[in-house]
Amino acid sequence: MSVLEIKDLHVEVKDDEKKKMKEILKGVNMTLKTGEIHAVMGPNGTGKSTLSETIMGNPYYHVTQGDILLNGESILDMEVDERARKGLFLAMQYPAEVPGVTNAEFLRTAINVRRPKDDPMPISEFLNELDKNLDLLDMDEAMTERYLNEGFSGGEKKRNEILQLLMIKPQFAILDEIDSGLDIDALKVVSRGVNAMRSENFASLIITHYQRLLNYIVPDVVHVMMGGRVVKDGGPELAQRLENEGYSGLRDELGLDIKLVDED
Amino acid sequence: MDKKTDFSKNKLLHEPRWLTQKRLAAKKLIPKLGMPKMEHFKENDIVFADSESPVFIQKIENNTDNKANFIQIGTQTVQAKLSQAMTDKGVKLLDIFDAFEQIPDIMQKYFMTEIIRADENKLNAIHLANLNSGLVLYIPKNVALDEPIEVKLIQDSRQKLDWYCHILIIAEENSRGHFLQHLSTIGDQKNIANLMVEVIAKPGSHLEFSSVEELGSNTTLYFERKAKIETDAHIQWAIGLMNSCDTVGQIDSELIGEGSYANSQLVSVTGGQQKVFLNNRVTNHGPHSTGLINQRGVLLDQSKLIFNGIGQIVHGAHGSKADQKNRVLMMSPDARGDANPLLLIDENDVIAAHAASVGPVDPVQMNYLMSRGIPYKQAQRLVIRGFLGAVLDAIPDKDVRKKMIAILERKLINGQRYRKN
Repeated sequence: MSVLEIKDLHVEVKDDEKKKMKEILKGVNMTLKTGEIHAVMGPNGTGKSTLSETIMGNPYYHVTQGDILLNGESILDMEVDERARKGLFLAMQYPAEVPGVTNAEFLRTAINVRRPKDDPMPISEFLNELDKNLDLLDMDEAMTERYLNEGFSGGEKKRNEILQLLMIKPQFAILDEIDSGLDIDALKVVSRGVNAMRSENFASLIITHYQRLLNYIVPDVVHVMMGGRVVKDGGPELAQRLENEGYSGLRDELGLDIKLVDED
Repeated sequence: MDKKTDFSKNKLLHEPRWLTQKRLAAKKLIPKLGMPKMEHFKENDIVFADSESPVFIQKIENNTDNKANFIQIGTQTVQAKLSQAMTDKGVKLLDIFDAFEQIPDIMQKYFMTEIIRADENKLNAIHLANLNSGLVLYIPKNVALDEPIEVKLIQDSRQKLDWYCHILIIAEENSRGHFLQHLSTIGDQKNIANLMVEVIAKPGSHLEFSSVEELGSNTTLYFERKAKIETDAHIQWAIGLMNSCDTVGQIDSELIGEGSYANSQLVSVTGGQQKVFLNNRVTNHGPHSTGLINQRGVLLDQSKLIFNGIGQIVHGAHGSKADQKNRVLMMSPDARGDANPLLLIDENDVIAAHAASVGPVDPVQMNYLMSRGIPYKQAQRLVIRGFLGAVLDAIPDKDVRKKMIAILERKLINGQRYRKN
């Protein structure tokens, strides 16, 4: 079993307008073990994406306090590529477009950097695996010869993130609003992909605004974030309650002095 | 054993009188002429030292290659062959000095007369005065080459020997062909390479000119490649400048005829202390002519790269089109790059557009690739290859494309060697 621990995590980003640092995460604690699916819910602007980008190691986010441990080892000094090879994966909310590099070439490169230099994945094995996963995600084979995310629709990009998840097979996958911009059919397909990964050797942190995704990927633990902290943990029923009452109900019950972004 | 002789004693004997006179006239012009005119290039940016009189070195070379049609090492042609079918159809592929003897009428008509002239600038005059190697490809009327003509030109820098190599390509009416040259250097003496290509594309002909180049760092390179494109003729340039040397280069497409077409594609990768200045020019003279320029550069280390894209539409070229894209990617904070599009339009009824950009590698792309476990350097090479892909993918020949990518990969790995991971 592997464990990813987030301890008292404080994170700043540079505010481009005011030219000074702004604290987004103010002490986040969370422990993920393989075999578990966690969901992080919370209102807009509460630091959910900051949490996922920081775990992955995006250099834009600065950790000022606390630690992130993978099996007891701090990963804060590791660059993003090293973290990825250690087993972390982030399905991004806005995947970058890389013209000139085909999807297939990119996937093979990503798989082979995890293997010894003299033992790349045989092409036939790669193609079998690719076919199987394309089928699972109802994706057209032509997608693999297109340039990485270039000109993909929002839904295609999200499917492509899940395709990478299935091909790379990480231990810890963070899915950052994988449901945004998806219609109900695409949502089911994406969920099917994530559920196919569920095993004793896999954990996922699913970041979402809405409970709906959690009907298809049922989490073991739900964390609610507000104002840069986790304010409540629970089971799937907590997500259901938020769907019915909204975030303000929970805030008021907990007596938190936090202004929700979209609240008048 | 090497036998060194100057041209008055050796080739001169085989050289027609008119050529010798032409050389002597060019020699007289040298002190009167200036360097090639180029935006952002000053005469002392790259110095081309004056050469002695032309030198020919006789050396027995055994370097042959089953695939290449033509191989020249230094000044010596070691292989020149064509398929029987092509020979029967009248196609000619000759060492330039053999061509002066065997097809004197054609040579007298086209060699440095109407396409490139010696009196245009000092380096052109020096080229003619010192000409010591080269070749001629002649494709007769209505003949389509069955496969690309592959030419290997190897600069011999095992000794002090400036290289004045001239290629003349004549594509007669409605002919078709693909010419592929590969340039490289052996040895590490400091030498000048002054290389010229003249192309005549007669009405209705189609010619692809591909060039894969990896000249050594002790070379100083000047090149001019110019095509005269007649009615409904097409020319496609695909140039991969992966040289390691200081360079001043010009590519010129003269769209003379109505409906003529030129597509000038170029990629350049510079590294070390290298300085490269390029003019890529397309001039629309003929009505309904199309001139496209697409060039992309990648700068490593402390190198400098200047791209001048020049699209000129002269009066009378109505209904013509000029479009150019110049993009430069900076891989190092110490590199200096510039992309200058110039559109000179003297006709109303035309379509003209240009785009230029200079910038660093996109950190968002890098973060994305690295988040999948791809190390920094490898991710950087993927982004660069992607960036050059727009031009590389347009190279029609798959083998050329592969060769170019392999050379590119080598050059990038070399340029990245100072970074740790």
